[in-house]
Amino acid sequence: MNELEILRRRLEREKKARQAAESIAEEKTRAIFEANRGLQRLNESLEETVLQRTAELIDARDLAVEANRAKSAFLASMSHELRTPLNAIIGYSEMLLEEARESEAQRQFREDLGSIQSAGRHLLSLINDILDLSKIEARKMELFFERFDIRGMIDEVVTTIAPLAEKNKNRLIVTCPDDIGTMKSDLTKVRQSLFNVLSNACKFTANGEIELVAERQRHDGAESILFTIRDTGIGMTEEQLAKVFDAFAQADSSSTRHFGGTGLGLTITRNFCQLLNGRIYASSKQGEGSVFHIRLPATPAQPSAVPEPAADPAPAQAPRTVLVIDDDPAARDLICRNLARQGVRAITADGGLDGLHAAREQQPDAILLDVLMPRMDGWSVLTALKTEPALAEIPVVMVSMLEDREMAFSLGATDYLTKPVDKEKLQAILDRHCQPHTARSVLIIDDEPAVRDRFRHILSKQGWQVTTADNGAAGLAALADAQPDLILLDLIMPEMDGFEVIAQLRRDARWRDVPVVVVTAKNLTVEDRLRLNGAVQKLVRKTDSGLSELPAILGDVFPAEEPAAD
Amino acid sequence: MKGVVFSEFIEMVEDKFSPEIADRIIDQADLPSGGAYTTVGTYDHAEILSLVGCLSNETSITPGDLVQAFGSYLFSRFHTAHPSFFTGMNSAFDFLGKVEDYIHVEVRKLYPDAELPSLECEAPDTNQLRMTYRSKRPFAALAEGLIRGCVAHFEEDIDIAVEDLSDGAGTAARFVLIRN
Repeated sequence: MNELEILRRRLEREKKARQAAESIAEEKTRAIFEANRGLQRLNESLEETVLQRTAELIDARDLAVEANRAKSAFLASMSHELRTPLNAIIGYSEMLLEEARESEAQRQFREDLGSIQSAGRHLLSLINDILDLSKIEARKMELFFERFDIRGMIDEVVTTIAPLAEKNKNRLIVTCPDDIGTMKSDLTKVRQSLFNVLSNACKFTANGEIELVAERQRHDGAESILFTIRDTGIGMTEEQLAKVFDAFAQADSSSTRHFGGTGLGLTITRNFCQLLNGRIYASSKQGEGSVFHIRLPATPAQPSAVPEPAADPAPAQAPRTVLVIDDDPAARDLICRNLARQGVRAITADGGLDGLHAAREQQPDAILLDVLMPRMDGWSVLTALKTEPALAEIPVVMVSMLEDREMAFSLGATDYLTKPVDKEKLQAILDRHCQPHTARSVLIIDDEPAVRDRFRHILSKQGWQVTTADNGAAGLAALADAQPDLILLDLIMPEMDGFEVIAQLRRDARWRDVPVVVVTAKNLTVEDRLRLNGAVQKLVRKTDSGLSELPAILGDVFPAEEPAAD
Repeated sequence: MKGVVFSEFIEMVEDKFSPEIADRIIDQADLPSGGAYTTVGTYDHAEILSLVGCLSNETSITPGDLVQAFGSYLFSRFHTAHPSFFTGMNSAFDFLGKVEDYIHVEVRKLYPDAELPSLECEAPDTNQLRMTYRSKRPFAALAEGLIRGCVAHFEEDIDIAVEDLSDGAGTAARFVLIRN
């Protein structure tokens, strides 16, 4: 009984303990529930805070993007604004320089003009570098793929770089197989890349050698073109080499002062190479020189989104024809190449007798004649040409290693060129002597007076009859007065821009067939190119080099004289 | 004081003495809780002192000896209930050295309101451990029992000297353990 009583009391205590435990458990459960709810609220408010902060960040990002866009636009327009007066400075100094040369003015005066011009060109190249980099950074750099002749491209680069190489008494060696063929890439960017690396090599090498080698190779299962630029210059240390492609980090900060340039050339080049799916890499040894390799795909890996421009419309008339008489095949080839680039049809003869025969058969517009040839030399050919009435009127340009102008002119030669033939000189001579018989008229539509003056200067020298208009509307009015043979058209103008002018010309049957050459400082977008495609004959960049090529380009558009009326 | 101490005490009395004695001392002690203890509850420490006093009367064993014996019993129960605390512990010194910084820390996580004694340890050499107990409550004897339970658990030959630091109040003491 006692035992039972003890058990009963124990059970009683257990029951009470259980109830106490249950109420404690309930209390704890409630506390946990409350704590959970608190956490949930905290979580919600955190989410709200995150959403709010995210919205603020998005706003800040949008503002930054907008500011960056505005900055890019400002930079682009600013550099256009900067380039316009600079082009005027360069253009006018060039004109003055030319006149000063002609008038045998004081030497000092000529030198000063030369300084203005070279300082202007230098400033222009710096501005171009900065603009390029800002475009690359803004991812606005557009590519324009086209198929081009590699050898021709290299010749052009070498012509441009030669004076730089000579400045430091460097020997420039170019190795490029004749059958290297073509590649499809962005010509301007390939050319600029090579130029940048070569001009660096020239800057940092004195009394040495600079070698450019171009090879076609199979690399990673695809055709690629490898350009190697080797110099015997000052070279770089490992540290310098490590940051040679970094922006704003020239190998030696003092080299900016010493060697000039923005130091952006290689940065831009690396970016170009990457854009073109290629790469640039370098090795160097201090005191011994540097080697840069640029490897680019021979054709873009993926079909580019940019459509290829339609082929140039076939010239309506036969091109100018020039007969090249030279016994040296290499010399013939070189001249022919130069002529082809100027839109001139070349026929060749490897000796005097053959040359005379070809001249009689083909009646060329001009003859380029070598002096030293076996069997019948150039002087004899010249004499024979001048004594044959049917051939006597054809201008003959003597081409020789020897300086013998007097002999040439005394025998009736029209002009004289020394080997190696300078592209520009050849072009100038042909432009001078292979002119259309009748004066052609050109209408220049451009809002910048400096540009109009410069064109007038260049074109009137070549026998063009020039009229000008300072905007699109004025241009159309001038067109209604007298229809020109050619229109030179700027794109960005107040009131009516170039695009609108082209649209109006194409709508009007009277003017639809007037050839238009666009001359612009604007960097054309793909969209711009599409708008222009087919509507214009040629596009000339409003740069120094672009403008100097103008006569040749006009030669392309107007390749031959009108067939003689009689 | 946490309920587990009370329920373990009652169980010990039932087990080591008898259910009758347990029932009787609960009755005699006239506890505010009525002796209905749950491990999840918290009770006044005075109740355990009353229970020990009553048990002492019943058994003629001094309260100090009873509390110390309960300490040893409690340690073995602790080992059964929380084996995870013994992982990697190879000796009594190992274990005792970590009571303050490991076990008490874990206890506070579970029971933020727990009032734990402080247990400072110093080891003048590898064979000696000096532990100083201080508490608001007079449980130096309980601490001694726990220490002895620990030594017994690891089956080591360790001498334990006890120095009272509280004039017999039982709220502070120093235990000097020397391993033979």
